Amino acid sequence: MNKILLIIKREYLTRVRKKTFIISTILFPVLYLGLIFGMGYLGEKAKPKLHVAIVDSSGYFDKGRIERENQKDSSSILTLLTSSTDSLKKNFSEWNYDGYIVIPAQTNWESGIKNLLLNTGRTMGGEASGRVESKLNNIWNEIKNEKLGIDEGKKIILANSTVTVKSVNVNDEKANSSVASTIGYVAGFLIYFILLVYGSQVMMGVMEEKTNRIAEVIISSVKPFQLMLGKIIGIGLVALTQFFLWVAFIFIIYNVTQASGSNVGAMGGIVGKIQNAFSSINVWMILFGFTFYFLGGFFFYASLYAAIGSAVNEDMREAQSLSFPITLLVIFSIAMMPIAMNDPSGPIAVWGSIIPFSSPIIMMSRIPFGVPGTVPWWQLALSMALLIGGFLFSVWLSGKIYRTGILMYGKKPSWKEMLKWAFKKN
Amino acid sequence: MPLLELNHLRKYFATQKAVDDISLTIDKGQIFGLLGPNGAGKTTLIRMITGIFYPDEGEIIFDGKKFDPINDIGHIGYMPEERGLYKKMKIGEQTLYLAQLKGLSKTDATAKIKEWFVKFDMNSWWNKKVEDLSKGMSQKLQFVTTVLHEPKLIILDEPFSGLDPVNTNLIKDEIYNLAKKGATIIFSTHRMEQVEEICDHIALVNKGQKILDGTVQNIKQSYKENLFKVKFTDKLQAEHLAIHLFEVKQKTDKEVIIKLDPGYTNNDVLQYFINKGLHIESFNEILPSLNEIFIRLVEGTPTARQFQEVNN
Repeated sequence: MNKILLIIKREYLTRVRKKTFIISTILFPVLYLGLIFGMGYLGEKAKPKLHVAIVDSSGYFDKGRIERENQKDSSSILTLLTSSTDSLKKNFSEWNYDGYIVIPAQTNWESGIKNLLLNTGRTMGGEASGRVESKLNNIWNEIKNEKLGIDEGKKIILANSTVTVKSVNVNDEKANSSVASTIGYVAGFLIYFILLVYGSQVMMGVMEEKTNRIAEVIISSVKPFQLMLGKIIGIGLVALTQFFLWVAFIFIIYNVTQASGSNVGAMGGIVGKIQNAFSSINVWMILFGFTFYFLGGFFFYASLYAAIGSAVNEDMREAQSLSFPITLLVIFSIAMMPIAMNDPSGPIAVWGSIIPFSSPIIMMSRIPFGVPGTVPWWQLALSMALLIGGFLFSVWLSGKIYRTGILMYGKKPSWKEMLKWAFKKN
Repeated sequence: MPLLELNHLRKYFATQKAVDDISLTIDKGQIFGLLGPNGAGKTTLIRMITGIFYPDEGEIIFDGKKFDPINDIGHIGYMPEERGLYKKMKIGEQTLYLAQLKGLSKTDATAKIKEWFVKFDMNSWWNKKVEDLSKGMSQKLQFVTTVLHEPKLIILDEPFSGLDPVNTNLIKDEIYNLAKKGATIIFSTHRMEQVEEICDHIALVNKGQKILDGTVQNIKQSYKENLFKVKFTDKLQAEHLAIHLFEVKQKTDKEVIIKLDPGYTNNDVLQYFINKGLHIESFNEILPSLNEIFIRLVEGTPTARQFQEVNN
């Protein structure tokens, strides 16, 4: 037992002290947030501001309305021109317009205007013309309102009188499905990420011991099973450390913004929203579920990756081709996640969260919807029991393969041979 | 008193009888040479002694008791032929880690490492990484990690491969030292001249079976071919080399190698030459080298073992 602790300590410390760990722990959230905000910012910046000339033959549009609308919405600029269509067609780009729209003379306000053409010198994306369209629609609505005699007060009534539908789980009325799906999605994705990244770290670690030929030295001091288990636990703790550091970051940022930002308009609003959201879900249940499914899933997959690592030689391609079926199981689970989250009580979600190989990801995406509202206790219990059974089995099986594989050099074994190693006596 | 007794050990793999009924006794303080061609089963045998493999049959008695891998491997130091260390780990830390895995406490281990590092002039290495070391340097380090915990049994598989003569002597002296202090050493190799120099006792293994076992002197005696080398001060004439006593194997001007015919003794030969009036400068028996015995015993068996079906 003492020896396993030594191995865990070595595996943990050598990894946590590495620069790459520190950098990736800090950079991952920064890059992740940067990616989200950066994309949003770039998208916003890259939106072209269209200058469009309007030639109105119908007489409905006037300068005042267009001017008012330009002030309200600056994503495009409309200008009413009186020049002829022909000269506009020739000269619009010289006059610094991106395009022009001709409103036909036979326009009737009751039937509306269909199929207006935005004539431009280049190909426009749907979004750009959509913005011009909604702007013209706003102006058109005003014209209609005026014709129908609808004043400001009536307008507000019309705008606000809509029907909205929201689902409520009668078993768990607190459940907030949009927050739950966000948290479920993030949790499921995190587990997916950790399984793949740290699972392959286990595999590489085993391969390193094998190619450095230190494996035989070590297993003349400890049992191969201890070496494998120590490595898996050590690397698992590294992953857990990284996860809790991220949680701590979020917590600190949350508290700092709450302390300083409660009266800083927008930030305060967001904080308030987050606070509301968190009060509607069970944070402790989610943290407990995450830790359990993370550890269970990690043991399940990491031991399989360790077995693969022990079976192959230094060739990375061999390792990749042999570990592909296992990676596929992880990818399959993440692919199932959106289906499960759309219908968190449906059969795919239920079975996916019970079967051990997909349960770490699928169950984690369901738990935020509420226990026992969405996930009944029996399902959670069954899923946890099966996951424990599953990882005990996979650790046992991998231990057998590992024991033989770690001392084998030469040709890559087939799956059949590896199973033979697993089930032979001694 | 024997430190290690192997009784009828067997280990069969799917396609090979790697160790097929081997029994050995190794005494305390002995330097024991385990010889054999490639693929003879030496490594498998050693792996059973170090607790890496369980024997299919037979038993191992270690230090008077039935071998219990979990407790006894702390008393064994094993340097495999395929050696290795963590390349990216600092040398001091790594040595400490390996010593702790053998059951030493941190303070004990640190003290011993310092002692050995001074002895081998490795003090400046503590914070270096293994990847910074040359092959010979890392070999020295590997030796230190093998013997650091003062094992009762030290198993060295080809310990000198890749070492220059200076470091070879350094390690060789240490091996003698350790044996003098009471450690038992199993020395596995196919470099016969080293075996002859270092080992008290040897066993030769081929195709999973022990084909020879004994002290170096006894083995040489039992494989001698009654060859003698006689040197004369005078020039030899053809008529001096008569007929019945011996057969001439090789002859130069003043020297002859003869094979004694059965039934005659050394004295008969000397008597004969003296009677012929020759002046004898020296008279030596030629014992076969271990290398010759090794080749004689192993030759003719296929160099690579064939795969065979094993039913077990």
